[in-house]
Amino acid sequence: MAEQTYTFRIQRNQVVGGGRLESRWQEYQVKVEPNATVLSALEEIKGHQDGSLTFRQSCRSAICGSCAMRISGRTRLACKTHVGIAARDGVVTLAPQANQPVLKDLAIDIGPFFKRIQTIRPFLEDGPETATQVGKTAYDHVNQVSQCIMCGCCYSDCTMAEVSPEYIGPAALAKAFRFVSDPREGKKSDRLRQLSEPHMMWACSRCTMCVHVCPKDVKPMEAIVKLRTRGIAKGYVEGPAQKHALAFHEDIKKSGDLNEFTLMIRTLGLVGTLQETGSALHLLKKGKIPSPFPHQARGIDQVSKVYNLLEQNPLDVETKAPEIVPE
Amino acid sequence: MSLEFAFYPGCAGKQVQKEAEWSARAVCAELGIKLHDMPGATCCGAVSLRETKPAFSLAVAARILSEAEADGRDLATICNTCLQTLSHAHYRFRTEPEILEKINAVNAQAGIRPYGVTNKVRHLLWVVTDMVDQGVLKSKIKKPLNGLRVAPFYGCHSIRPTEIFADKAGEKADHLDRLITLLGGKPVAYDGRDRCCGFHVMLSDPTEMRQMVAKNCLSAKGAGADVMITPCTLCDMAMGAYQGIAEKTVGQSIGLPEMNFAQLLGAAMGIHESKLGIDRLHIDPKPALAARGVL
Repeated sequence: MAEQTYTFRIQRNQVVGGGRLESRWQEYQVKVEPNATVLSALEEIKGHQDGSLTFRQSCRSAICGSCAMRISGRTRLACKTHVGIAARDGVVTLAPQANQPVLKDLAIDIGPFFKRIQTIRPFLEDGPETATQVGKTAYDHVNQVSQCIMCGCCYSDCTMAEVSPEYIGPAALAKAFRFVSDPREGKKSDRLRQLSEPHMMWACSRCTMCVHVCPKDVKPMEAIVKLRTRGIAKGYVEGPAQKHALAFHEDIKKSGDLNEFTLMIRTLGLVGTLQETGSALHLLKKGKIPSPFPHQARGIDQVSKVYNLLEQNPLDVETKAPEIVPE
Repeated sequence: MSLEFAFYPGCAGKQVQKEAEWSARAVCAELGIKLHDMPGATCCGAVSLRETKPAFSLAVAARILSEAEADGRDLATICNTCLQTLSHAHYRFRTEPEILEKINAVNAQAGIRPYGVTNKVRHLLWVVTDMVDQGVLKSKIKKPLNGLRVAPFYGCHSIRPTEIFADKAGEKADHLDRLITLLGGKPVAYDGRDRCCGFHVMLSDPTEMRQMVAKNCLSAKGAGADVMITPCTLCDMAMGAYQGIAEKTVGQSIGLPEMNFAQLLGAAMGIHESKLGIDRLHIDPKPALAARGVL
């Protein structure tokens, strides 16, 4: 493929007096092939145009996770992203990871990210739930999430982390699932209890962004869904998000459609609902209060029958990732 | 070729966001798209049901998909979360035949027709932008938008994950932009385009949800948008009906009219506003539309 000249629009950041961050945009012209990596273009800039440009890199092979940065809007690994794919009308925009303190230019302080990982105790613990026998397929759950390289792409693009610094984030939850699903882990219930607290697994908005941006196909949100299933099964159902989730199957087997009228009271309780009176009145202005008598689906008895059958004989439908073994 | 679909508006489209359903029906009538009701269909359960009752959620999806399949039809929806939930189940049935077999066996015991995975799950927006002849669509535009600046808000559940939505996923999604251009409007580029509306944490994390709404709307407004459109009844509820509530939470006024794509499309087709339920919107888009001669 022939070389082309691309414009690299790079956010230059500098911490000035009082810890304030000064940001400006600087443009560089780089001649590379479209299938060159963004990282190689950055090296070209640093080596031949501007030695003051700061970014992190190490392995160049999508293993170390050091070069995660926002490339044309989404957080990606610079070593794994082709310039031609990242360019919009010949321009590649680079900025540091979001939701993290910036140190200089494209380098961020990864410390707060790792603090979140430490919160979930990223190591096996001995305890009453340690399995004495480990089956052949036991690691099919663990495999998917153990591909994580801790690059921080998911946390940088997490739509909940953007508005909630307290939120633990997708990477830490995927890591938590790695231990909750490991048969050798001894404190699975204790972990699930902690993960059921506010700003933990139930705070995920289910936007699926982490699945989209993960460069290693860890699918953090799928791990969060599985953690929630396990938490509910253990009886950790006290929060509003848990109660909200639990409302669905009741309505579906009873009438078919969601009873949005009673959903709020079932989620927030009476006191919580009264606190939301202002919002309800606002919605009422345009008639946006649902009917308390939702539509009854034809053949609804089929649905309740299926529900009962599955309660009597549970089916395991969890997605698994068998280990890839060389032939 | 006449286009016919099993129509699955979703719980919000049937209840609080019924203006989106009215508009979808009105637009389809103009375009000669036949929408067939699904009397047996239940709520899809959203991600919530996958969390609480994973096997039941697949059984529910198979039953819904099978009802459309029995009549030889693809299913079309106007809710992104229904789209993702049913597409996710469809993807699993397609790629994990042993799961489909088990689910069909349980469903059969309850008298439900086994699902054969011979039909597709579609968003009605994709039908309009990718299946309807674009020349015909253009000929139906009686009131072009005359340069109205429209912010496309795609909504998470119609563009992620990539393994399901393929060429319509993530940054590749351009169907809303194409529709806006075809209607004579100008698509606005802004940060919120593929962000989250917060609908699914509306009750459990209300402050965060309202901050999301405010952030997305302010970003669109800052980029010069006159109105915002979404393909999703849940995004409509969050970004439209909750915008005023979000304004109070963040202490900033926004006032960005938000509409369902079918409402704007209907307005550009010259369908009367009463049929599009424009009056049910919290932030009135009529001044912005009238300024461009649309209403």
